[in-house]
Amino acid sequence: MKKQDEFFVPYISESLGSKTKKAIRRLVWTILFAIIVIAGVFAFTQKPFKNGSFELTSETRLTGVFHENPYPMLRVKVADDSYKNILLLGFGKSSVNPYLAVIRKDFETLAGKELAIEGNLIYYNGKTLVQITSEEKIKVMGNSDPNILPKKEKVGKVTLTGEIIDPKCYFGVMKPGYGKIHRSCAVRCISGGIPPVLAATDSNHNLHYYLITDMVGGAIHESILPYVGKPAEITGIVETYEDWQFLRINVEDIRETGEASLIY
Amino acid sequence: MGLEYKFVLWNRYKKKYDLVIAGFSIIFLLLFAGITLIVNRETTVETLVIRGFGILAVVMLHLILVIGPLCRLQPKFLPILYNRRHLGVSMFLAALVHGGFSIFQFHALGDTFPIYSIFTSNLDYFSLSNFPFQVLGFFALLILFSMAATSHDFFLANLSAVTWKRLHMMVYVAYVLILLHVVLGAFQQETSLFTIIVLGLGFVLVVLLHLLSARQELRADKIQSVETEGWFRVCEVDEIEDDRAKIFTLNKERVAIFKYENKLSAIHNVCKHQGGPLGEGKIIDGCITCPWHGYQYLPKNGQSPPPYTEKVATYDLKLVGSTVFIDPNAHAEGTEVEPLIITK
Repeated sequence: MKKQDEFFVPYISESLGSKTKKAIRRLVWTILFAIIVIAGVFAFTQKPFKNGSFELTSETRLTGVFHENPYPMLRVKVADDSYKNILLLGFGKSSVNPYLAVIRKDFETLAGKELAIEGNLIYYNGKTLVQITSEEKIKVMGNSDPNILPKKEKVGKVTLTGEIIDPKCYFGVMKPGYGKIHRSCAVRCISGGIPPVLAATDSNHNLHYYLITDMVGGAIHESILPYVGKPAEITGIVETYEDWQFLRINVEDIRETGEASLIY
Repeated sequence: MGLEYKFVLWNRYKKKYDLVIAGFSIIFLLLFAGITLIVNRETTVETLVIRGFGILAVVMLHLILVIGPLCRLQPKFLPILYNRRHLGVSMFLAALVHGGFSIFQFHALGDTFPIYSIFTSNLDYFSLSNFPFQVLGFFALLILFSMAATSHDFFLANLSAVTWKRLHMMVYVAYVLILLHVVLGAFQQETSLFTIIVLGLGFVLVVLLHLLSARQELRADKIQSVETEGWFRVCEVDEIEDDRAKIFTLNKERVAIFKYENKLSAIHNVCKHQGGPLGEGKIIDGCITCPWHGYQYLPKNGQSPPPYTEKVATYDLKLVGSTVFIDPNAHAEGTEVEPLIITK
């Protein structure tokens, strides 16, 4: 009795028999078909990305009045009696404060001073931020009257539902810049000095953004980290500052909802 | 088989195999990126790279895991198994691109060392939905690295086949970690039922083929041998095909009895190279040839023909009429045993 089947030995040429070749060919076509289907399924079913922008390769020069309430911003005139407050950020996952500290050595205070800044713009949904990569990109242009700066206006106590995000990634650097996949990055950003922002939805599913501060209006970073990137309900006091809203909170008043966030 | 260690001992099958791996990987990445850019053009290059290479690595891992049982069930697929290590290394490289980009994107340029950040940026270790899934992916990547780094005959020979095999069986731990990484990570945010079904089907395929293959092996192991005065009656001589073997389990060890040139010889069933089933091999040029990578042994002494040095255990056989009996006590590896002449 002699078995007439094929036996493949890689170093023996022509040992790959016709039946084996046929089986392998079928398997390879099946794998190719599976690959095409899988690529299609995973590509088609991704959630839409937001149309935020990050101008990584180009720098824009901005001139405006510096203030920090408590997060550094540049108040830029965009039209007669119309101003935009641009949030200033450092390189990577860090605050702009180390660069500002260098500039402050030569000036008593920067608040109210006119600065010229060069940096990479980040913008989405009416908000603009700028990444500054060194203190050399900040120039003090002259004195300005701090009294021309508007004051925050208190709106009242509210309870909002949304997710605490890091604005640098959310408004353009990363897509998606929110949710569980991005949480670690948001934690690193806020830990590194990027201001925390609550992205909240109202009853009409419109998105609103609130820069989060503590109850006395101070910056908040480390204590909020356990709640970053999770759907949450937060009660606090809303204040407005021209095109931005602020939310004064006690971290203890943050409640994780455990439900899917509507900001996606 | 090779006497000296080279980075890759190329032959035309390996070249063709690697071209198919590279070609299919490129097709997958281009399709995924192309479709995403058409239907979802606001994406970023980083996201495309992280997602594309991550999915590619998972697809490749499923393929790697089904090749073994598939070949057991249908030996015609053995040429796919032959170069599986290259598929494994390719899978690791895809996983490395995914992991490397993710670590840089999510953890670098911050106030903490990126690897430390993987473990500390999310501390919800006792929550299922909030679990720090990146930790699971990181450990899977370490396992894949240890496998890819030792995926060469140099390590196989120096670590010993048993240690090497144990290390490479860690692929199942990596598979579980990767499944959890995906389910507790991406699937918590990208909640499409279609992608969950695709991964579920992959998991079912891997489990099903392993169960079918295990059932086949168990069936072979259950063949009862009758012991008479220290000898086990195993089969009739006609039950073994020429130049082939039958496999029997004696004292929990698998033994292959080969019939060739009107003779019978018995050797331990496990190839010294990667643990391939020698009893599923064939006698070629007078040598038992392993079905996995073509390693060869002389039937009379279980030694690889010179200048090769691999050795397996041999066994005594006897014929009573046309019935084959075997002494279950193995000789030392490489011990010469006079082949049993089949008399009719």
